[in-house]
Amino acid sequence: MVRKKYSWKHVLLVAGLAILFLGNITFYIWYQSESIRLGYKIHDLENQLEKRQEEIKLLEAKKEALLSPDRIDRLAKDELNLQEVKPEQIIFEGEIEK
Amino acid sequence: MKIVVDRSPVLSGQNRKKTRMIFIFLLAWFLVIGFRLIDLQVLNHKKLKQEVIEQNQDLITIWPTRGTIFDRQGRILARSLPAVSIFFSPTRGEDLKDQLKSIYELKSILNLSETEINRLVNSIEKRKRFTWVKRKIPLEQAEKIKGLKLSGIYLINENKRFYPQGRLAAHVLGGVNIDDAGLAGVEYYYDSALRGREGQQLIMRDARRKEYYIETIKETQPGQDIYLTIDSNLQYLAEKELRQAIEKFKASWGTVIIMSPASGEILAMASYPDYDPNYFPPPPEAMVNRAIQYTYEPGSTAKVVTAAAARELAGISYNTYYDCRTGSMTFGGTSVRDHVRLGILSFPDVFIHSSNVGSIQIAEIIGEKNLYHMFKAFQFGEKTGIDLPGEEAGIVHPLEKWRKSSLRVAIGYELAATPLQILRAMNVYATGGYLVRPKVGLIGPYTQQNISDGSLRSDESRQPVISEKTARELVDLVFKPAVERGTGNQARLDGYELAGKTGTAQKFDPALRAYSISRHVASFVGFAPADHPLISMIVVIDEPKGPQYGGQVAAPVFREIARKALLYYHEPPQKLPENMILARQTKESGVTD
Repeated sequence: MVRKKYSWKHVLLVAGLAILFLGNITFYIWYQSESIRLGYKIHDLENQLEKRQEEIKLLEAKKEALLSPDRIDRLAKDELNLQEVKPEQIIFEGEIEK
Repeated sequence: MKIVVDRSPVLSGQNRKKTRMIFIFLLAWFLVIGFRLIDLQVLNHKKLKQEVIEQNQDLITIWPTRGTIFDRQGRILARSLPAVSIFFSPTRGEDLKDQLKSIYELKSILNLSETEINRLVNSIEKRKRFTWVKRKIPLEQAEKIKGLKLSGIYLINENKRFYPQGRLAAHVLGGVNIDDAGLAGVEYYYDSALRGREGQQLIMRDARRKEYYIETIKETQPGQDIYLTIDSNLQYLAEKELRQAIEKFKASWGTVIIMSPASGEILAMASYPDYDPNYFPPPPEAMVNRAIQYTYEPGSTAKVVTAAAARELAGISYNTYYDCRTGSMTFGGTSVRDHVRLGILSFPDVFIHSSNVGSIQIAEIIGEKNLYHMFKAFQFGEKTGIDLPGEEAGIVHPLEKWRKSSLRVAIGYELAATPLQILRAMNVYATGGYLVRPKVGLIGPYTQQNISDGSLRSDESRQPVISEKTARELVDLVFKPAVERGTGNQARLDGYELAGKTGTAQKFDPALRAYSISRHVASFVGFAPADHPLISMIVVIDEPKGPQYGGQVAAPVFREIARKALLYYHEPPQKLPENMILARQTKESGVTD
């Protein structure tokens, strides 16, 4: 059997190439897994953002419902016992011809 | 390179045999794997690829959120909010009993009726792959169901239309169906703009079905927001006063429209009976927007056109007099009468006191042709072109079909019009002779303009109908006095000058084939203030019980709405009303005098 004997130089070269190859593979795998991890994170954040925006829209609509003229009128009359102003109770200020 | 040759035998005969056996075994093993790989990668490639795509890729349609509808001040009138829908899809291999178990567990949570349960059971028994359990439930309820992890029960995110102001402006807004498609009102008219355009996304999922990458295939175009010309405060005011009048007079229905005279922008459009668009569709009788989808014989409010024809086309002088002493007259096989015997009346007084006898005499002078042309010039018998669906055109018979009795058009019979058409006709006097196109929608944000500062643009498509001189004269000599001392005096508002015209139309009874003496449509149309109109308005009340006349039923409603609307727009009285104090703050003392 014939056995080849390699010099240290060659062994180092091959080892270097192997390390470079493995490094690249490792980086590629890390890059891929990191992309996926960041994908999850971005997706979660986008979901959160969307949820917050929906919450804002919901709260705006609720505020609008609470401030609806019908509700304000009812509260003023029923709970605060306010009465509608009579024409003779109104005092106008401004340019009025006497 | 050095080559070292080892001449000693590497393996003995026994070992060589073992090595060969291992080699053959490994070769066979690799062949099996190879064949399996060919099976997976080549022979079943298509099918398996499809399975993988199904497992980790989803091409989903993204439905855009429907646009929000705002009033002219930016208040939300309609908005789509997130909701969750529940559907059932049977799990493979699960028996019918287990499938039904999930449904029965939902019964109490979703408050499902027996009919709904039967529908679901029926669908499951028919092995349907997809069945809606309940659409658009609140998020809290959905979270509860999600927590149960029921087999075959899935949740899907949707949107639900919400009208925060409830019944306010219901007929203008309309409503949507369960799939958020507009079915009435602005929701229908502007459906394509509000709806937006759906998009598509490719979603990549991992082995646990968790999303990790989203690629947009087709961009979603969200629904466009729409601003209306409606003023929520004025709308509420109109609805409230109308409801009170309907209840007071036990009337069948009623409508109020308030318009900005120059621009044609509708500030309020109330129709009763009304409905809550959150629970659409309403009963059919509440669905009708009486302001535009109902025609009636307007009665004396149509005299605003007769007066214009008399001046513009027949040149009738204001100093002509008409004998109305008999209180009734017969012509063309029909008779007309006045509410009281009015004596001899001048041209303005005929309209101020709304004499039918006098009006017919004037109509005879005007002539059929001129009268017809003036009604056509005011565009009766044509849609106004308002941006709302289902508008009625009304009826004005063609001149060749007119009989002698058709002169009754002059007093608002033998023609059909919508309340909006009558308002638009009166509005001609408020604009100095122009017919404007009414509108409710403004796509895009509305600049915060106050109507009282007069900055609202005039309608660019407005058409001149009568001269400014005629319009001004008729306002001063007819429509102002009609409110001051005529049939519309219950619309009189202290401190302000109003212009208007009453209308009391007998309703035709198809059973009797005659006009009823007990069923009327009472109306009042006018504008305020008379000299620089901020609002024009019509009030129509159908079949009031008790008082029947427009001046008694509709005019007080007009007065109350006008009073509050003018206050709302900070329009001070033109003259100081009696018993009213003029207050002015002095700089020095801060005391009012």
